[in-house]
Amino acid sequence: MNVPFLPTCGEVHEHLTEYLDGAMPLRRRLAYRIHLLLCHACSELARALRALPGFAKRVLAPPPAPAPPEAQRALQETLRILKAKPKD
Amino acid sequence: MSTAPPSEAEALARAAGGDAEAFETLVSPHLPMLYNSILRILGEPADAQDALQEALLAIHRDLPRFEGRSAFSSWAYRICINNALMLRRSRVRRREDAVEDLMSQEGDDGRPRETGAFLPWSTEAEAPAELERAELRAKMMAVLNRMSDAQRAVFILRDLEDWTYEDIAERLGVTQAVVRQRLHRARLFLQERMRPFVLGRPR
Repeated sequence: MNVPFLPTCGEVHEHLTEYLDGAMPLRRRLAYRIHLLLCHACSELARALRALPGFAKRVLAPPPAPAPPEAQRALQETLRILKAKPKD
Repeated sequence: MSTAPPSEAEALARAAGGDAEAFETLVSPHLPMLYNSILRILGEPADAQDALQEALLAIHRDLPRFEGRSAFSSWAYRICINNALMLRRSRVRRREDAVEDLMSQEGDDGRPRETGAFLPWSTEAEAPAELERAELRAKMMAVLNRMSDAQRAVFILRDLEDWTYEDIAERLGVTQAVVRQRLHRARLFLQERMRPFVLGRPR
């Protein structure tokens, strides 16, 4: 999309996180907002970038469990080292 | 006479004095959280175990310097994240070759894919409706492993661990503008490769 006074799709693509963070000055933010209202592709990208952190957290979250065996082993090994070490 | 379990403050003081049992009392309630934070960065339980052990030793070593300005769990969490990031830096490179093997080197027409071409699973036509979460997770880890270290670190700290830009900038020794730029690149990288799933509803 190329409309005078509005950012191009390329510019939106480049600075979308800055816009979504609310880190732009007002005039620029408004221009981006209008672009997003008019441009389906960019508004879809904005939707995806907004959804990404929650999506990544859900996908990468380890299944809930009490301290897994690896964590217990790390603790037990640490305690063994601490007990073997003379106090400073 | 039997005594009640020591409070966190008591356990802190005793652990700082070298009492290993008090240290166990102190860290045990937070162990799953600490371990899971590390696992999210490293991806492999064996690596996470090593990193957690190193982090626990660092926590113990630095206990006398803990001033109580934040919760013990937050302070310990930071140490764990730092250790995991350092370990990741040294280990992830070794796995990249293996990850590369998983990526198709050729397109459907038999010609080599362009650099940065979408991974096979990112095309709508191939997106299975019911991808198992574990499979999706493995795919996302593979994409994360293909990011630059700088982008990956920022993405993990900001989008997975919810650090502020200010804290990330301080930890990485760059400006907040650079953090935002790296985050944006990382999000675009991930979004392009996980596109069919991001706005869907993964199980």
